[in-house]
Amino acid sequence: MKDNPTPSGVPDRLLAVRQIFGEFALVAVLGAAFAFAANQISPLGLALTRNYFPTGTSPSVRLSAGDTNSGPVSPTQFLARQMQEKGLQLLDDSQSARLFRDPRFKQDIIIFVDARDEDSYQRGHIPGAYEFDPFHPEKYFDAVLPLCQKAVQIVVYCNGGDCDDSESAALLLRDVGISNLKLFVFGGGITEWMTNNLPVETGARNSGILRKPNP
Amino acid sequence: MKTDRTFQSRIAMDAAAVLARWLLGAAFLYMGLSKALHPVDFLKLLRQYDLVQNSLLLNSMAATLPWFEVFCGLLLLLGVAVRGTALTLIVMLVPFTLLVLHRALLLHAALAIPFCAVKFDCGCGAGTEFICRKLLENFLLILLSGWLLFGRGRQFSRRFNLIKPPAS
Repeated sequence: MKDNPTPSGVPDRLLAVRQIFGEFALVAVLGAAFAFAANQISPLGLALTRNYFPTGTSPSVRLSAGDTNSGPVSPTQFLARQMQEKGLQLLDDSQSARLFRDPRFKQDIIIFVDARDEDSYQRGHIPGAYEFDPFHPEKYFDAVLPLCQKAVQIVVYCNGGDCDDSESAALLLRDVGISNLKLFVFGGGITEWMTNNLPVETGARNSGILRKPNP
Repeated sequence: MKTDRTFQSRIAMDAAAVLARWLLGAAFLYMGLSKALHPVDFLKLLRQYDLVQNSLLLNSMAATLPWFEVFCGLLLLLGVAVRGTALTLIVMLVPFTLLVLHRALLLHAALAIPFCAVKFDCGCGAGTEFICRKLLENFLLILLSGWLLFGRGRQFSRRFNLIKPPAS
């Protein structure tokens, strides 16, 4: 097609539009190539095939993509350091169990918050824990936020191990005005809870259906 | 006298356009790098939008978007393919701003607080921000990109047109 200039200047404008779209396509292609290459070269780059949000747990400690040259640290040390950096406090399994048995737990002065997705929650959660998926907080704010405001200690957990949804949930609650002084992350999560043969409730909250501890 | 004033205003307009190009370039360079340096955090934030369910696609988006922004930022700072880059930025900014707005509306309804009091980390590279401020920022970035799209900011550019216009 030949775009000869006319007195109205329309073909000139058409040419300019074509030129802009041509550049746009070029920028998109070169930019994508640059971005993939930069991600490959960068020591912080993401592994494209890795599942960063496992539904189960693995015994490895999660590391941010850049933490490849730090010395060996125990899982607890690593988690505690990460929590501390974000103004959160880490709880171990015995501290979490103690809070679970505390009479204030029955009065919602101490609450447990399950930061996993709905399916995982239904399959088994700490009895009495409230569901709060940090990736869909709008679904849970109505129920959970007033309780968090009243509670004096909030224990947030997820699967433990590689999972850091508990941390995301705690940070989200902090961002909407819950004091970080009462936010605690149970690092071992439901996996450690079950390993210690502590009770697990299935279905909805307070369904009363308890899964039997392992013999 | 009138010619002088016209000349001066043209110079002022050109200078403002170059500043806008540098500002836009620096903003994208900064936002891109801040995400590229914390890719896992960006991946988590991107996940909250439920854009894709496939982890390979989600990882690819989280891995490339920050560097793509860096690339666009560099092009604008250097003045290469300015109009094509400006269009690319608009194509990225408009849908992303709509997604942020949608999420803010959900949070506004759930939290029952004034819309402008809603704050969250939208994954834009600047951390947790109040929504009204974020929307205003994005609106300004879109306006600046639109201005550059119309051929402004040619001065101090390495190669304003990457594709040369055919001689008429």
